Amino acid sequence: MRSNRLTTLVLLLPWIITFVVFWLFPLLFSLITGFTDYSLISRNPAEWIGLENYKELLTDQDFIISIKNTFIFVFGTVPITTVIALIMAVLVNQRFKGRGIFRAGYFLPSITSMVVISLIFTNLYSRGGYIAGLASMLGFTPPEHGFLYDSSTALFSIMAMDIWMSVGYYMLIFLSGLKSIPSELYEAARIQGAGNIRQFFLITLPLLKPVALFILVINTIKSFQVFVEIFVMTQGKFETASMVYFIYETGVTTAFRFGYASAAAYILFAIIGIFSLTQFILMRRRHPLW
Amino acid sequence: MVTDRIKKIAHYVILFLILGIMAFPLLWMFRVSLMPTGSLQSFVELWQGSYTLKNYSDLFTTSSMGRYLFNSSFVALIVTTGNVLFCFMVAYALARYRTIANKILFVTVIIVLMIPAHILIVPLYVLMLKAKMYDTYWALILPWLVNPIGIFLLKQYIENVPSTMEDAARVDGAGEYRIIMTIVMPLCKPALAVVAIQIFFTNWNLFLFPFILTSSESLRTLPVALAHFQGQQAIDWQHLMAGSAIAVIPVLIIFIILQKRIVSGITAGAIKQ
Repeated sequence: MRSNRLTTLVLLLPWIITFVVFWLFPLLFSLITGFTDYSLISRNPAEWIGLENYKELLTDQDFIISIKNTFIFVFGTVPITTVIALIMAVLVNQRFKGRGIFRAGYFLPSITSMVVISLIFTNLYSRGGYIAGLASMLGFTPPEHGFLYDSSTALFSIMAMDIWMSVGYYMLIFLSGLKSIPSELYEAARIQGAGNIRQFFLITLPLLKPVALFILVINTIKSFQVFVEIFVMTQGKFETASMVYFIYETGVTTAFRFGYASAAAYILFAIIGIFSLTQFILMRRRHPLW
Repeated sequence: MVTDRIKKIAHYVILFLILGIMAFPLLWMFRVSLMPTGSLQSFVELWQGSYTLKNYSDLFTTSSMGRYLFNSSFVALIVTTGNVLFCFMVAYALARYRTIANKILFVTVIIVLMIPAHILIVPLYVLMLKAKMYDTYWALILPWLVNPIGIFLLKQYIENVPSTMEDAARVDGAGEYRIIMTIVMPLCKPALAVVAIQIFFTNWNLFLFPFILTSSESLRTLPVALAHFQGQQAIDWQHLMAGSAIAVIPVLIIFIILQKRIVSGITAGAIKQ
């Protein structure tokens, strides 16, 4: 029995170390740092300043704009991504020739590097670029300096790219949900004379609710952390800076204000926590099996 | 009958339309990467322009592209190997020894799965500075060696593997580690492959942490190098897209070969959560 316990400990050690060193400690460290004026460049040792960082954040215009941008991003992309992913899943769920190719093609952007995708779209969105050409062909006037150099279009352009990139991944998750719906249900509906559209609203949609809510939760958590595309495409200019961008900029560039950035990170953490918790509660209430 | 045919045609038209939208940006990247320097990236050039591989060879001769490629491969391979081994060890213990302590430990796995990693920018940066690992390979490898998603997927899988063979080996007097490595591990190959592919892709594409935890040029991975390229005025789109293509091609090859497994892995991970 003793040796068995030792074996277990050895087997579990990689996770225990990773958890303590790279998750628990950093989380506690930044929680405490958030109440201090700790920074890389100040000569004095860090001092406890209570809620000062949080108070300053709430009056920091840059931070408030970053919250606003992040919310626009999350609420603009998550619902649209979910709906498009569902439509795509239904389209490729039927039996037809070349189904695998379509699925793979739709999914491909999701495994491509975000930096690469951002670079490609920076080119496509640029002044006189492909999308500008397309827009003028359709009778719109594209922004003078390109889509990413204009405050009224920059964030929305990044959001459109993000939707394009992630629909394929969520389509796959929807597909696995579609597969788990018993085909007898559709047969029964067909016998009773229900058409494709009625079948979709009466059977598919209600039974996919748990999958849809799952997708909403993971996509919300992911989208609140948007950073890479903003960093690569606009460097946070033209009203695109997100909360993570703010944390990055105040925390690990020029001023290195560790305490201040940690407090901002915890506000983001709290926002994400509230949203995913609410979604979880909604899920449980509607689906006791979950 | 006629309406059925129209429906079928309409279905394909929509499917191809979406495929066009999804594939176009990547095709565009390849096309621009093959254009001679100085050419416009316009619709006309797309069809009529000439092709050259010079941009690719330029990158290897005038920039450290070889080094970036090595860094990305080296780090991703070590992290993937580490995850396969460590996640398997942890998952085995969590699946087979069901003590209260282990159940609590599994809760920590689930919690970490839900934690938004980007809030750790500052503490990880400080940790790496203080541990003197800032700007070393350690900073690119150590934090990602045991990914909770790997533990989660493997634990689910091992729980569905009957333990009869292990018990028989135990009766025969085989040691615990031998049982785990020679009996259980081979049985888990499909799940291990899924974990390996997911971890490899994630790590290969990782940007934020490699970017903030290193500063030397010699330690840049492909995504970090590409982001730095873009900041330089000297580089043109043709070379930038060639560099991007170099970062995409390995993923593309793995995806084409292992497509089925990748797709099934994603859905397996999703549904069980």
